[in-house]
Amino acid sequence: MKVEGATTHEGRAGLDMTDPRFWRAGAISTTLVMLVVLAFLSVDSMRVISVGGAHVPRYDVVNRHIGYQYDWSRREDVPVIGAPEPLFGRTLTEAQATALVREGKLVIQSRACMDCHTFFGNGAYYGPDLTKSWLDPAWPQIWMPMTGKPTREEAMVAFLMNPDQYPTWTRAMPNLHLTEREARATVAYLKWMSAVDTNGFPANFGKTQTQQ
Amino acid sequence: MYRSQKLSLRYFTAAIVLFGVMILFGLLSALYYLYPSMLFNVFNFSTSKILHIDTLVIWLLMAFMGAVYWYLPKELGHEVVGMRLAEITFWVFCAVVAVVALVFVFVQYGSANEFTLWFINQGRKYVEAPRWATIGVVAVMLVFAYNVIGTAVKARRMTGIMWVLVLDLIPLLIVYLDAFPAPTNMSVDLYWWWWLVHMWVESTWEVLIGCVMALVLMDVMGTSRRIVEAWLYIEVMLVLGAGILGLGHHYFWIGTPRYWLGIGGFFSALEPLPLLGMVIHSIYDAGMHRMKTANRPAFYWITAEAFGNFIGAGVWGFMMTLPQINLFSHGTQWTVSHGHFAFYGAYVCGVLAVFYVAKQKTAGTEFLDGRAWKWSFGLFNFGMIGMVMGLLIAGMAQAFYGRAIGGSTLMAFTQASENPWFIAGMYARMGFGVIFALGYVVLVYDLLTAPRRVPAPQTPMEPA
Amino acid sequence: MTPAALIETAVLLGLLVLAGGGYAGLYGYGRLRARPALVAAATACWIAALAIALAIAVVTPLDAGWKVLVVVSAIVYAVIPPATWRYLERLHVAEGEGP
Repeated sequence: MKVEGATTHEGRAGLDMTDPRFWRAGAISTTLVMLVVLAFLSVDSMRVISVGGAHVPRYDVVNRHIGYQYDWSRREDVPVIGAPEPLFGRTLTEAQATALVREGKLVIQSRACMDCHTFFGNGAYYGPDLTKSWLDPAWPQIWMPMTGKPTREEAMVAFLMNPDQYPTWTRAMPNLHLTEREARATVAYLKWMSAVDTNGFPANFGKTQTQQ
Repeated sequence: MYRSQKLSLRYFTAAIVLFGVMILFGLLSALYYLYPSMLFNVFNFSTSKILHIDTLVIWLLMAFMGAVYWYLPKELGHEVVGMRLAEITFWVFCAVVAVVALVFVFVQYGSANEFTLWFINQGRKYVEAPRWATIGVVAVMLVFAYNVIGTAVKARRMTGIMWVLVLDLIPLLIVYLDAFPAPTNMSVDLYWWWWLVHMWVESTWEVLIGCVMALVLMDVMGTSRRIVEAWLYIEVMLVLGAGILGLGHHYFWIGTPRYWLGIGGFFSALEPLPLLGMVIHSIYDAGMHRMKTANRPAFYWITAEAFGNFIGAGVWGFMMTLPQINLFSHGTQWTVSHGHFAFYGAYVCGVLAVFYVAKQKTAGTEFLDGRAWKWSFGLFNFGMIGMVMGLLIAGMAQAFYGRAIGGSTLMAFTQASENPWFIAGMYARMGFGVIFALGYVVLVYDLLTAPRRVPAPQTPMEPA
Repeated sequence: MTPAALIETAVLLGLLVLAGGGYAGLYGYGRLRARPALVAAATACWIAALAIALAIAVVTPLDAGWKVLVVVSAIVYAVIPPATWRYLERLHVAEGEGP
């Protein structure tokens, strides 16, 4: 057995594919090329996904109506930001909206929402995906009557504060003791998130397809 | 036996204990799907799931570290530098893990403030551990890096395998820094989170286990260093060549630009190609060295690793990686199926081989074989295949009924979860999970009992 | 993509790789034990893989670019096991470890 790194081999010149050094050079160059490409793509991606970028709206989007419609030119569903529709009936400044959404994210992390639910499809699969949860027809159809609240956002707050009181099926959501303030921040977060352009994920949201 | 090898045995013991904890909480998590009101509001699914996936990360990390401490002095012909520090660090690591686990079990979650992120739960999948613990893990990894690099400097020599290992520790540590921030913007959060998760699991860990497997191959099969190094470099080239931009398959739907659909789909579609080469390699090696191996369980687990990796990452991955399919399969039990199979194939099988290498050395036998390991090998593989089949069926039912037909709303999710195919899949997963757990019990029994003296390598297998 | 096409396409993609794996496995084992029958069975597996790739190209609603990628990779499958085998032999012979 050769002791040192086996980097010497009796005098074969040129490209010897049985020589580890040949593959070492390949490994190093491939890795470097890929890392450089990734660096460029990451810079460009950050431009697109920063708040206010092409795919991610500013936080004060919570003051507007948000829809999700099929775009024939892109062949996928895209979020549509519409007329003013203030959250909880109050138009927020950009700073207020930012603070609210920021708190919403802290709620989502502190309650480990991601260990039952998915965001953009990432997380755990015990509860439904929350990417477009703001737009879910279950709020007006099920929870507004159930909680007796007049608006979608108020029904969401009532549900989030006491989810165990408003179950829709056997796999109910546990009570994670959200304060009203925390619940409102979470609703703002979900509304903002539903306006992110996710390349059409999830497809056909809220539209039932036929089997064929 | 070197002093660092004694430390390895401690790391292996801790890893095996955490492997058991992982299985336990895996079974519990599976049970929630069948009995959703179980422990409701007392010990919720999320807590059980956190313990399942976080112990997964920690036990594999501990096993890798143990493997490196095992081979480092052998490879460099020099006792590991800074052993005292390393031994203290081991207990620190265990204490950190224990405290975090207790906080997860008894405190579970906190209010929406920085205190929760620092001391209770960060709520980001795989890196839920609070920040103080994350600092602890970084400190452990720094000591580990110091041991490795310091030994190389002291021994005044480096081998190709050690170079790869040392260079790999750098990105391993750098991407772990993403376990600290909490950006408000979910797209940015997930962008860097995937650097951490993907670069650990599909790049740096692959390289790390590649190094460990290279050392095991020389040890167990007596393959020459030149061959092993050539293969290690090829593997690094393929893993990083396809894996770095393979990151793109996580960037389809998180708000990132459209070009990731093409890049991610293309590079993950390439992944089966090197895996075919790996299958050939493992058959060639198996055939060449079958008669020479003195450690049958390690030999079988190494072979299982190549096949498990091929099916878990190759077949299961390719099924769902193209964006048009992934749009519907992403975030269903289908993903879970792929994740279980790929992790098992790529890492668990390899790590179990290392455990048997250590067992042979501590038992001092020239030839390691027996009956129990075959049972555990069979139960593990049978249990895993059954679990991933159950999950695949459940996931396909979700993609079909919940996503493609139902349109992904809460009602669609509910209906898909009440579909008979989904429920059958979940029962199958539970049942095969129990079988997998039995494999673990036999494994522990086998590793703890002294091996029977088996005369010579050419002996036919014992009557079963 | 219709719900039925989704499952069909995914299953075909999985079968494609599985057939490729069957090809590699049988080829490797056949060469190891020097059994031409197994190598022939391996070739049959590769033909199956190619047929699956063509089926994907014809019946599934995947975009044209993915279909090209699938068919090309099925063709590349043919080369990998023999090339890897030959390389391994060369490597081991160079090390004086040939079988």
